[in-house]
Order: sequence, then C-alpha cells, then structure tokens
Amino acid sequence: MIVVEGLRRDFGQLVAVHDLSFEVADGEIFGLLGPNGAGKTTTVRMLAGLIRPTAGSASVNGHPLGEGSQRIRALTGILTEAPGLHDKLTARQNLAYYGRLYGLTGGALRAAVDRYLGVVGMGEHGDRRVGGFSKGMRQKVAIARALLHEPEVIYLDEPTSGLDPLAAKTVRDFVATLRELGRSIVVCTHNLDEAERLCDRIGIMRGTLLRLDTPAGLRRHGRNATVRVELNGARGPESFLALLARLPAVLGAQAQPEERSLLVELADPPRETPDLVAELVGAGARISGVREEAATLEEVYLDLVGEVGERDAAASVQDGEGRAA
Amino acid sequence: MRLPYVWAVFVKEWRDLISNRLLLGAVVFPALIFAAIPTGLVAFIQGSELNTDQIGIIRDYIDDFPNIPEKLAIQGFIVSNFMAYFLIIPAMVPMAIATQSVIGEKVGRSLEPQLATPLEVPELLAGKALAAAIPAVSATWVVYVAYGFVNGAIADPRLTTFVFIDVWRVAMVTLVPMICLFSVLMGIVVSSRVSDPRTAQQIGGFVVIPIIVIAVAQFFGGQATFSMEQVLIGDLVVAGLIGAALVVGAWAFDREQILGRLT
Repeated sequence: MIVVEGLRRDFGQLVAVHDLSFEVADGEIFGLLGPNGAGKTTTVRMLAGLIRPTAGSASVNGHPLGEGSQRIRALTGILTEAPGLHDKLTARQNLAYYGRLYGLTGGALRAAVDRYLGVVGMGEHGDRRVGGFSKGMRQKVAIARALLHEPEVIYLDEPTSGLDPLAAKTVRDFVATLRELGRSIVVCTHNLDEAERLCDRIGIMRGTLLRLDTPAGLRRHGRNATVRVELNGARGPESFLALLARLPAVLGAQAQPEERSLLVELADPPRETPDLVAELVGAGARISGVREEAATLEEVYLDLVGEVGERDAAASVQDGEGRAA
Repeated sequence: MRLPYVWAVFVKEWRDLISNRLLLGAVVFPALIFAAIPTGLVAFIQGSELNTDQIGIIRDYIDDFPNIPEKLAIQGFIVSNFMAYFLIIPAMVPMAIATQSVIGEKVGRSLEPQLATPLEVPELLAGKALAAAIPAVSATWVVYVAYGFVNGAIADPRLTTFVFIDVWRVAMVTLVPMICLFSVLMGIVVSSRVSDPRTAQQIGGFVVIPIIVIAVAQFFGGQATFSMEQVLIGDLVVAGLIGAALVVGAWAFDREQILGRLT
C-alpha cells in the first residue's frame, strides 16, 4: 500500500510537485495522467526512493521514504520512461544483472529470467544483444526487468509505449493479473484509453492532483449521470415528463422534441436504468435506444488540464506585465 | 559496501568492455605504443654502428651505467628513461573506460534503472572503478614484463635487469594502481558533469599532463630514471589526490544529482 501525504519536490526555483496526497491500496491499479512536466515522473522517483521529497511524507508498504529507501527500492519494480537497457549485453544478461541487483541468485535467478522472458514473449530472443532490438522488443525486456523480482509495488511509466496492439494487450492483461495477486500498481500514461481500460482509479495531475476518481466518476466530471432515451412512436418526449417527475430515482429530466429523446439524470444508471425503461414502456413509450451520456475521459482531461494551463498562462502574463510596469 | 553487488556491476562492466572492440583498442594500443618506441630505438642501435658524436645530451647519462660497453649504456639509458611513460598507461586507459562507462549509461538512460534497485551508489562506482582499473593495471604490468624481456632478447640480457630494478617494481605495485584509481575517479567525476564522451576525455586528459611533465623533467633534470624516494613521494601525492577525488566524486555522483541531469 502506498500512502502519500502533502508531498512536495522543488528543483531550485521550480516547484515540480506540491500538495500531493493520495493512497494506492493493495491490488489496485492507480493511473497518473498529466501533460509533460506535470510531475508524474518526479512523483514516481520520489515514491521509488530515487529522490528525496522537499516536504511531505509517504510510505510504501509501511516503509517511510528517506530512511527506508533501500528497503523501498528492494520491494519496488519500476519501468522507467526510457527502457535503459545495456545494448552490448543480451536480453538474458540484462535481466540476470538486474536480478542479481535485486538479490536473486543461482537457480532462482535463472528461473525468474526464463519465466519473465516468456511472459513478455521474448523467450526466443533471450540470447540476442538488445542493441539490435526494435523499440517494442526493448520495452518488453524492460517490463520483464521491472517484474523479475516479484515486486510488491510496481511503477510503470508508459508501459505499452512502442508496443504493437497485440503486445500492448498482453501487457495490459498481465498487469491486470498482477492486481489479482495483490500488488499495488501505479501507471503513468498519456494514453487515456489505456488508463480507462486498466486503472481502478485515475489521478489527473499538473503539479498536484487536479482530480482523483474512478474512470466512470471522472467521465461524469462531478455531474449526475445522464441517460438518453430515444423514442420511436407517435407520442412526443414531453408527454412523459410528468411521469418522470414522479419517479424517485429521477433527479431531473428534459425533453428534446427535435431529437425525439429524453435526457434523464440518475444517480446510479446501471442499477436504475432498467426500472426507468420499464416505467416508460408501461406508460406507452416505444423505445428505440438507451445509452448513458457521459463526457469522454479525453474531454474531462482536456477540460481540467486546459483550465489549469490557461490559469498558469494568465498568471505568467500578469507577472510579466507587473515586471514590465 | 556489499561485495555481491560490486561483483555484479563488475561482471556487467567487464562484459560490456570485451564486447566493445573500440574500447578494447583504447586499452591495448597505448600500452603497446609506449613500449614499442624505446624497443624500436634499442633495436635500431643494436643493428647500427655507434657514432658517439651523434648521441648528444645522452652522453651525460652514460656514467649512470658504469662497467658496460658504451652502446649498451646508451640502450640502458633509453630503456630506463622511457619507463616513466609506463605511468601514462594507467592514467590514460582507465580514463577512456570510465568516461565511456558512465557517459554511455547516461546517454543510454540506463543509470536510472540501476539506481532504482537496492544497489547503493558507492557499490555502483566501486564495480565500475574495478572494471576500468583492472584492465589498465593488467595491461601496464604485462607490457612492463614483456618490455624487460623483449629488450633483453634484442640487445643484451643485462637490459632486462635495468627494467626489473627495485624502484620500478615498487612503482608498478604501488604507484601504477594508485594512478589508475585516481584516473578512474577523475573519469567518473568528469563524466557525471558532462554528457559527451569526447568532452569528458578531453577534460580528463589533463590528468596525464602532470605525468608527462614529470617524465620530461626527469630527463632534463639529469636522471636516467626515478629514485626510490621520488616513487614514495609520488605515492603520497597520488594518495592525497585520491582522497580529494573521492570527496568530489561522492558529491558529483550523488543519486539525485545524476537523476537531475538525466531529465
């Protein structure tokens, strides 16, 4: 389990991360989304015991950052932004080297290397030098390296970068199995689709967390979920508004006559939609389609990051004008 | 310092080195060239008629080699005098290896994954230093021994005894490894601050200059070779420089400094 409280990291005058607080439970995949320079890599480096925070605290499986950093590094697996392999060594030699650095020896080391070369589909390339590998092959070896010592906490920076769709799916499926084994996993990515498919919760950050929620929660963007009911009969949508007003699950409703549809706000669409449909059909509605209306994660992301970006830009213009004056 | 970790780094570096032919060349060629020049001179003199009018300033040193023929004394002087350049091998070779080792990893972004393991920075540096120092010291010793025997075989067995004198035995065992270690540390310090191998080697090249100055000063100072006192003073000076380089190296190769420069 990862617990982060008020973490901050300055690089000279630059505040890379500030007021950062969140928790990642055992068996949870936590996504960190944000633009370049948002502080994702700095956050991971702090949590992986690579760099010290300027302020705040964090613990990884009960080990505090700082004094416990070596223990944290021992129980952590990290896929860095760049694969960072040793080109003159073979894939097997690369993995064996890192296995030794994580304390594996002898038969256990050989077994782990063979197993993870197989997991990432690189078994037949194990004895080739990685200098001749494609970007995707290097990424696979780097993923194997991050998992080799069966870490309890895993940080994956753009895990499917450079992988073909099939390999990317294999990696996503494998990460999902790690969740079932109770590992805490943090995924940094720009790939919103991947974050949505993979992560239990997503934090959108730009220096600090702008929003933290489940993918579905983020898509609603703080609003009630809206269900669009498309009608296909003689009666217009406005004729059902009185019925909807009487239903306790309905938080609000709106008729759209031109589109022959109703927009109905519900607190919990998956649970309440069947009852809503049953009531409407009972009242004589002919329904041709029902779907939840929600923003895409991309829209939410651009909305949040854009707001902060505009605010930052305005602040820097004001700052510039102030100095000019 | 945990030895299995140092050993793991050493083995990895060694594999890297032997698969890098260019770098291997940088280990072997300087050593061979420094030995080949005086050996070539000795062979040339051996096959020529000696004209004492042409030996110039060397005449002043012939008295250092009493009770032997003049031609052999001149060869003895050449063999002895050029041995100062053996100190350049342990200064130059590990510098090339260390700069390539650290900068190669910075460019390849492979330092971060290593620093993310339980490996501590001193263990990483110790493994790298050993991997750079052992080939350099070995090359110096092998060429030193070969130099003694080859010159003895070309000219006269007595030349071998001029090479294997106590002063140079002590220098090989103490001064050569220490110069090597200092060069490695300087290579690491320089490499941690720059990202281009050529720049690092140019800056690191300054380490060689004092040794060349000492070698030239020895010649013009009227000495055929170093005295035992000079070697021991050299040991002390280099030991002091190693201490200073360790302090600077620990600061320059701080985990955060390195990662800060990778971003």
